[in-house]
Amino acid sequence: MENIQSRLLEMIQKADRQGANNLLAAWSEEHGYEKLLKQILIPTLQHIGEEWRTSENFSIAQSYVAAKIVEDALFMTLKNKKDNVNTVSEKGPVVIGNIEDDFHSLGRRMVKTFLEADGWIVYDLGNDVTAEEFVDTAVEIGARVIGASAMMKTTAYNIKKLRKELDRRNLSGHIQLAVGGAVFMVSPNLEKEIGSDGSSSTAIDAPELFDELWEASLQQETVHE
Amino acid sequence: MNSFERIESTIKGDPLDRRAFIPILSLYGARMTSCSIKKFYSDPEAYTAGQMAVYDEFKPDMLFGPFAFALIGAAFGSELKFSEFEAPNIKRPGVLSFAQWEKMALPDIDTNPYLLYFRESIRLISIACEGKVQIAACLPAPIDIPALVFGMDRWLELVLFESEQAELVLDKVNRFFVQLANCLFDEGAMVTFLPCGYASPAILPRNLVESLLRPKLRQALGQLKGPSILHHAGTIMLDHLDILTGLPSAIGYALLHTEGLSKARQILGPDPILLSGPHGPSLDQLESSQIEQISRSILEDRDREKDRHFILVTLGADVLYHTPPENLHAMRKALADVGWNAS
Repeated sequence: MENIQSRLLEMIQKADRQGANNLLAAWSEEHGYEKLLKQILIPTLQHIGEEWRTSENFSIAQSYVAAKIVEDALFMTLKNKKDNVNTVSEKGPVVIGNIEDDFHSLGRRMVKTFLEADGWIVYDLGNDVTAEEFVDTAVEIGARVIGASAMMKTTAYNIKKLRKELDRRNLSGHIQLAVGGAVFMVSPNLEKEIGSDGSSSTAIDAPELFDELWEASLQQETVHE
Repeated sequence: MNSFERIESTIKGDPLDRRAFIPILSLYGARMTSCSIKKFYSDPEAYTAGQMAVYDEFKPDMLFGPFAFALIGAAFGSELKFSEFEAPNIKRPGVLSFAQWEKMALPDIDTNPYLLYFRESIRLISIACEGKVQIAACLPAPIDIPALVFGMDRWLELVLFESEQAELVLDKVNRFFVQLANCLFDEGAMVTFLPCGYASPAILPRNLVESLLRPKLRQALGQLKGPSILHHAGTIMLDHLDILTGLPSAIGYALLHTEGLSKARQILGPDPILLSGPHGPSLDQLESSQIEQISRSILEDRDREKDRHFILVTLGADVLYHTPPENLHAMRKALADVGWNAS
């Protein structure tokens, strides 16, 4: 198992998408497509996330390649999915989107891919999403986490409106607010300033963050009961 | 010594009266003149008035042509979104596929309204300044332009998975870039500021920057009529700085002081200009005393004290609209207090 994980990692670093797809297809043919996500992909992504968190040589390109390989693997798994076989347990639902005035979708799309691979049901509202749209959707579908993305400082400030909207409707705590985007890497205090409940430095770490925030939302209710 | 002479002396390593000071205050001109954002980014006269107001208030050693990369995307058909207090953004990319790109004619620098806005703004600032201050044209490096046309996702996908197509895109972009940059030199720009985000280790791994981006950047910069300053584009650059050294026309490099300026100087060698300073888009959230302290600590560093080719700048993107003026004056105060000790 370690061997295939290290080969997959090597292919991600070389941006060898086709090689990775071939490797994963061959493994799935032998061991079953239903085992691919749980036994290979998710542990590999966790390993990569851990390594990149402490590495200075992490690049968006590597994260993007990993996301594309995950997308391909999800597609391959769905295509080969047999009846009554659960590939991954379902989590969520959650809502994600780029905040009002932000149109940089790259990070958000990667987050969506990694969340889905981890079993989350993701409602992706796209770019330029207002605070009201985020909260309306979260209430409508019963989401406990909203993920708001922004690339620039000016648009990151619009996330404050989302915090205010959650406060106004008395939903803060029940609905947790995750934030992400390039600007949070260069402005470490920004996350607190705009009122987020948590952030992750890479898209690969998003499932772990959403697990924590989902749990925090549940805890909040236990406290209030 | 006027600003023009100060920058010239910094390039040559000649004695100075004080360090040069270059805050990126393109958008700030709109604040100084209370100009609406739409007018500011479409009317060269309004833009020029803003830059002259910036000059009167802060006496920077360099003024900037419009720092509005989305307008370059718009010249290629990307759709813009205007907001109240910031430069326009790209709402939707203009080109969706390589096939569409291949068929597309490059925007004409003599007729495209967005490009004429850049040209005319530089020309008018140049006339208004009468040679007292240097003027920089701020353009995305050719390796960053496709992201404004295709969107970041599609451009990254081409670079990573379709390298032959990416090369063809860069060949065509280079033709556009060289034409536009040289035209801006003709209009009065003395230098181009070129953010190179895609050369950053935060965006692309080393092998791609070396094999794909550097050769294309070399090809483009080799055809420019004037000098360039390569800029970190708001992200880390130090680990790839060696790949960007020795490029034709590149006289300076702007990067985060937190990355280690002494290491940067080692990589660059003694002659290129090194530019660094506080992070521009964060100046709105800091106290002026903090900004002064950050500037002082950079200037008082032992290696910087002796560095004749160092300039204090604001880094990252443009300084934000709501930044208090005293926060910018704090940088000037640090310059005056620290003085000039290099012999």
